Amino acid sequence: MSEKRRKIIPDEFIPEIRSRVITLENQDYLLQNDAMFTFYERSIGELSPFFLAIKNERKILGCKCSKCGMVRVPPMMTHCPDCEFAPTKPVEVGQIGRMNTTPPITYFATSLFLDKAPFGRGRVILKGADTALSVMLYTTTGILVPGLIKKGTEVKVIFRDERVGQISDIYCVPTSELTPQQVAKEGLQESELNWAAPKEPQFSKPTDKDMANYKQCLKEMLALAIKMSQSKRARKAIEGWKRNIAVKTKASEFAMYIDNGDFRIEDKKLASPDFVMACEDPKTLLDGLMYKGAITDSVIMKKLWISKNLEFNTIFKLDRLARFLVMEQKEKTAK
Amino acid sequence: MAKKVGIVGAAVTPFRGKWYQKTYYELAQMATREAVADTAISIKDVDAVFYGIYNDIFERACIPEHPLQGILGMQNKFGIRISNGGATGAYTLSAAHAYLAGERFKTALVLGVEKATDCFDFTSMSATPEVIKTIAWSGDTFFEQKIGWSASDSYAEVVLGYMDEYPGTLKPEVTAQISALLSQQVRGNPYAQRQFDQVTPEEVMNSRYIVYPFKELEICVYSEGAAALILAEEETAKVIAKNSGKPIIWITGVGEANEHSFAGKNQKNMSHIVSDYLGAHRAYEMAGIKDPVKAIQIVELHDAFIQQLEISMAEFGLVPYQTVDSLIEDGLILPGGKYLVNPCGGLTYCGHAVGASNIMSVWSARNELIKRKLKTALIHGTGSTVAQYTVCATLEHE
Repeated sequence: MSEKRRKIIPDEFIPEIRSRVITLENQDYLLQNDAMFTFYERSIGELSPFFLAIKNERKILGCKCSKCGMVRVPPMMTHCPDCEFAPTKPVEVGQIGRMNTTPPITYFATSLFLDKAPFGRGRVILKGADTALSVMLYTTTGILVPGLIKKGTEVKVIFRDERVGQISDIYCVPTSELTPQQVAKEGLQESELNWAAPKEPQFSKPTDKDMANYKQCLKEMLALAIKMSQSKRARKAIEGWKRNIAVKTKASEFAMYIDNGDFRIEDKKLASPDFVMACEDPKTLLDGLMYKGAITDSVIMKKLWISKNLEFNTIFKLDRLARFLVMEQKEKTAK
Repeated sequence: MAKKVGIVGAAVTPFRGKWYQKTYYELAQMATREAVADTAISIKDVDAVFYGIYNDIFERACIPEHPLQGILGMQNKFGIRISNGGATGAYTLSAAHAYLAGERFKTALVLGVEKATDCFDFTSMSATPEVIKTIAWSGDTFFEQKIGWSASDSYAEVVLGYMDEYPGTLKPEVTAQISALLSQQVRGNPYAQRQFDQVTPEEVMNSRYIVYPFKELEICVYSEGAAALILAEEETAKVIAKNSGKPIIWITGVGEANEHSFAGKNQKNMSHIVSDYLGAHRAYEMAGIKDPVKAIQIVELHDAFIQQLEISMAEFGLVPYQTVDSLIEDGLILPGGKYLVNPCGGLTYCGHAVGASNIMSVWSARNELIKRKLKTALIHGTGSTVAQYTVCATLEHE
């Protein structure tokens, strides 16, 4: 959960000065690496007390209208827009609240949040507030899945250990995952929570049926991999990407290679893979590659385990690989 | 009394996932050239230009419209840019309509252009994460950008809010059928990004979650392209139409609304798209439409997300909130049904070249009104955070 990035623009986001040529219908077209960037020393102005209270005191402030008494969190104004701009004053609100509506869960995030997905973001009405504060939502139990946090779910504000005075210094978890002491404590910090560590699933001893299923699935995946590597469109889905993946199943384990457009499968164990996938039945993965169900959803529904959450990125590419192959075949037929 | 305003010409460029061959300068000129040709006038006859360009970062320039003025043959004339999130194109139409109705000009060019997918994420070696990041700079800057706000998750909030209030609606098998229906309709649109991407409801259901509850095949796709309209006030429109031989499509009603961007008491009601309700009903009022269910035949709806398409139809008063799935279950939008929704394939299949999208929708509605000899269409644009902005317009074919 901790915020590891210490630079405004992390180095890995910055491309080299470079250009390349793409040829379309015998004509060359130029592509140039480029960026727009502007740095700020940003004024937080009238919102400063809100962010300073989070950073220094682990408190949440709202603003209360001197006329209608409405308490807005976040405290976006010094004067109430509903009462002819009557002045407001800061008030502290509770750190427990209920979800205003069922929150969405982001699995495919923007480039800035690829390493934080999956995460929820929703709106919580904290005790003592009339409006909803937008917050990131996590579960301490693993991957956030639909149904875990809904409209009306009680959640608590958690403060990150290292805070810089911005809204990402806080997030919420369901109070049902906390001890009574943690629920009662004001200013609860993330280091005080018990986070479930990712644990590789262990499978029972395979039967002969499992072995036969493994061999059949592997045979089909090998054939599919050849088609994918021959498909211009499918190759585009994994262009510029390189991963060596160990795939563990109940029956045995195999290797999956993604190498800048090439997709290859080998019946061998990888000594130092970039990451591990584990699924009891290899058909889970085969179905995904055959575009008969998303691999992403298999991870979400806990049918497929991955050793690094950040590799959701690779999972998306595998889903896209499957889709692009099917799309290419359909387009050929349609045209 | 405001002047009547009509559409006398329209054109679009092909919408593509990536236009390697053209910059936004050329795309803008392509659409303008074709629109002027469609109208059978000279660009010299056009008094003013209204630019719909959503995001500076996509075009990699602040005031990205300034190089276009001369390129379009509009030098020394009025030019104004409109930028209103996803609703940019519809707001551009609204602005041009107001200027012509107010007799500032006799003719106007409404031009939308966007070059979205030059944005590229070098860590994942793909465009999409950077494109959606660029859009995410549109989120609230103090409270939401830094916690992963995205266009998808903000619209998902509204969709889930609707499902909280109307449980059992927006069923996945219904949204899957709508997506599959649009994928069939797009076959007739040669300018579409996904003209040959026909999908089955099963494929939609099986596609991966992007942001819960949205699946990959229930979301619009980002495009590059341009669209242009030529508008004229009544007398000028009639002269142009006589010369071109093409019928005038009148803009009979326009309605807009921008909601609060935060939720809670006196603020945004997350279970509804109130801006859609207000935008549509204000347009109906201007057009004198008392019963939209009877009057509206074609809807060109900004389907950023399929679930939101359903909610928008309910907010327009075209289907009840609680039985919104009757769009499919009772065949309201199926072939031969009551409404023809997104004959162009919508933004899901034709593509979403943001500033150009709603203008493309007008182009499509005009074509369909003329081709099918129908009378009334509703145009819709939505945008900003939590479906905050809406513009609706009613079009009539005399």
